[in-house]
Amino acid sequence: MLFKKKISAVHVPHCKSTQDMHSVRITPPESVTIPMSMHSGVPAVPVVAVGDHVYRGQLIAKEGEGRVSSPIHASISGHVTDVSDKYISIKSDGKMENDPEMKAPKLETLDDFLDGCRKSGIVGLGGAAYPLHGKWEAVRKNKIETVLINGAECEPYCTADNRTMVEDSDHIKSGIEILKKFVQAKEYIIGIEANKPEAISHLTEVFKDDPSVNVKTLESVYPQGAKQVLLWNATGKVVAAGQRLASLGVIITNVTTLAKMALYFETGMPLIEKCVSVDGSAVKEPKNIIVPIGTSFEYCLLSCGGFKEEPRKVIEGGPMMGRTVTDLSESVVKATNGIVAMGEKEAILADPTPCIHCGKCVEACPLNLNPVAFAKALNMEDEDEKEALLKREDVAQCMECGCCAFVCPAHRPLVANNREDKRFMRSRRR
Amino acid sequence: MEKKYNLLNVSSPHFHDSSSTRKIMLDVVIALVPAIIAAVVIFGAKALLLIATCVVSAVLAEYIFNLIVKKPCTIGDFSAVVTGVLLALNLGTDVTILQAVIGSVFAIVFVKGLFGGIGKNFANPAITARVFMLLCFSTVTSFTVPKTVELVSSATPLVNLKAGSMDLLPSLGQMFLGLHGGSIGETCIIALIIGWIYLSVRKVIKWYIPFAYIATVFVLFLVSSLSPMVALYEILSGGLFIGAIFMATDYSSTPLHIKGKVVFCILAGIITFIIRKFCGYPEGVSFSILICNLLVPYIEHFTRNIPLGGSANGK
Repeated sequence: MLFKKKISAVHVPHCKSTQDMHSVRITPPESVTIPMSMHSGVPAVPVVAVGDHVYRGQLIAKEGEGRVSSPIHASISGHVTDVSDKYISIKSDGKMENDPEMKAPKLETLDDFLDGCRKSGIVGLGGAAYPLHGKWEAVRKNKIETVLINGAECEPYCTADNRTMVEDSDHIKSGIEILKKFVQAKEYIIGIEANKPEAISHLTEVFKDDPSVNVKTLESVYPQGAKQVLLWNATGKVVAAGQRLASLGVIITNVTTLAKMALYFETGMPLIEKCVSVDGSAVKEPKNIIVPIGTSFEYCLLSCGGFKEEPRKVIEGGPMMGRTVTDLSESVVKATNGIVAMGEKEAILADPTPCIHCGKCVEACPLNLNPVAFAKALNMEDEDEKEALLKREDVAQCMECGCCAFVCPAHRPLVANNREDKRFMRSRRR
Repeated sequence: MEKKYNLLNVSSPHFHDSSSTRKIMLDVVIALVPAIIAAVVIFGAKALLLIATCVVSAVLAEYIFNLIVKKPCTIGDFSAVVTGVLLALNLGTDVTILQAVIGSVFAIVFVKGLFGGIGKNFANPAITARVFMLLCFSTVTSFTVPKTVELVSSATPLVNLKAGSMDLLPSLGQMFLGLHGGSIGETCIIALIIGWIYLSVRKVIKWYIPFAYIATVFVLFLVSSLSPMVALYEILSGGLFIGAIFMATDYSSTPLHIKGKVVFCILAGIITFIIRKFCGYPEGVSFSILICNLLVPYIEHFTRNIPLGGSANGK
């Protein structure tokens, strides 16, 4: 076996102070603005007009035509105030009424299952936001042996998946029952990092009479939840570059995605709200809040007591892979699992100094890539040579987990470099 | 919340492990402190004077060089201090102050600065400067016997080893404590080992990288002489420990990957053995490391990592 060695990882501060806080449903906002592109693939297409009344859970945008897409549903009841191909805005009527026509979908055949996944509007909630039916479609062509349920949640500050595992184990259980019926895998592994003892003991208890479900404690290292890392640590398999995971007989799904799927098949309620961990040094009362999709970041932060110091950085997601948000009117989307607001001291990192060629980035990379070579490519003038180097060093594999930049003593912007190189490679392919 | 905040828009990750180049270089300086103390105790005030001279002139040279080429001042990263200390520890007490200054300036300006500064130099500045001085000034290898001990011979153990004069060698205890002739920082093995442990614990280096170097030399001498004593004296004498611990682990002049670093050290060990055994010089650590510095691009090429899920030749 080529990869006997342990996959490289880094020890990041966990900062999971919201881990034991029960999620709370916030007072719904007066309005929501729901983006049409909250998933990977083609944007959804609005099916409502300004002035229409909508209920919670009612379809407001259908799947776009093309490779893969996902429908979108109203997250509050009220009137549509604005429709464009990018956004739909809804003003609340204050009632939060569910769609009266909502009912549990028919679930008898594999087609029913895949159709339900499609109509639920659920996307991969671990971060990739890949439409759910796109993932399970693989069941038609591949024999799935193992379903890996990702409860690693290795991003600092984020604890929403942990809350799902502790508070919503019923849906995880019924979700696995559905998978047993239609995916018919041999084993279901729930991988959880050791820093979530409550989730581990709770789920172990829940599944103690089910031999096909294995609650696996994983080491608390970053990026434990990444596809390749989780796959290796939980099953000992490696997926080759460009190979589909399903061809190995494995499918990975996030715990919250699974619970949302079970909820849909039980009640017909599509993905319209999300548990989000709001934390960071600038947040007054860190919390796990359940918010309607389309709620502004500003409203989420206000629901957590606002700021206790001037925020300098607001991040959607966690601090390792999250994206900075500069306009707080931006909306919470389907895959948002954390909002981190950092004060001056936490937000400002040291300026870069020259690379000292120490090799710590190479050592830290979970995928054995070479960020030094990627940085070198950035300054290469000859585009053919640059392309050859980047291809040889396989920059496309980089998942931007941030381990390299995290350990770099020279504070080089390594992830930004890799992103730039990947952009270059995409432009060359065209 | 009408107020607009001054929010940063930067790339992830937004956490850092708070390491820095300066902290690493400071760790190296701290690791060298036992060797500095040993040098001063064994070789007296001249050793201290040499170290001070080299450090001050290396730092000044870097400062002035940066001013001239209009680069940002980099003396705050302490790398010039490391170069100064290392160069001084590799000199004998007969070296004059002027020679030490010339060596330090050479190390900083010609080996490091002209190639683009920290991280860009392909050869170790201290080693290159030492070799340069070796060729220019005879004083570098005319070692004075430490005044603190009565010595059986004024020649260094390596010269005696080479001549096969085993009876003229100091005792093993004296070898470990460094009570014999040699460069001021290379003789006290115990002080160097303390530095080795410190660097390993602080994760500045991997413990097995110097070990690979020293073990290679030991094994080769053991096989060639079939005498554990000879092999032991070989590794304890000369600049092997200081070279293996502080020079062969230099970041910018050694390969990037761990595998490459180990290969580098094994190669250096083989070359050291060849020089000591078959060539005119009694000592070969400086030359070996310098030669291996030049081979780094090849070593890197042959030891590159295979991406997880990829093959050796890319896709």
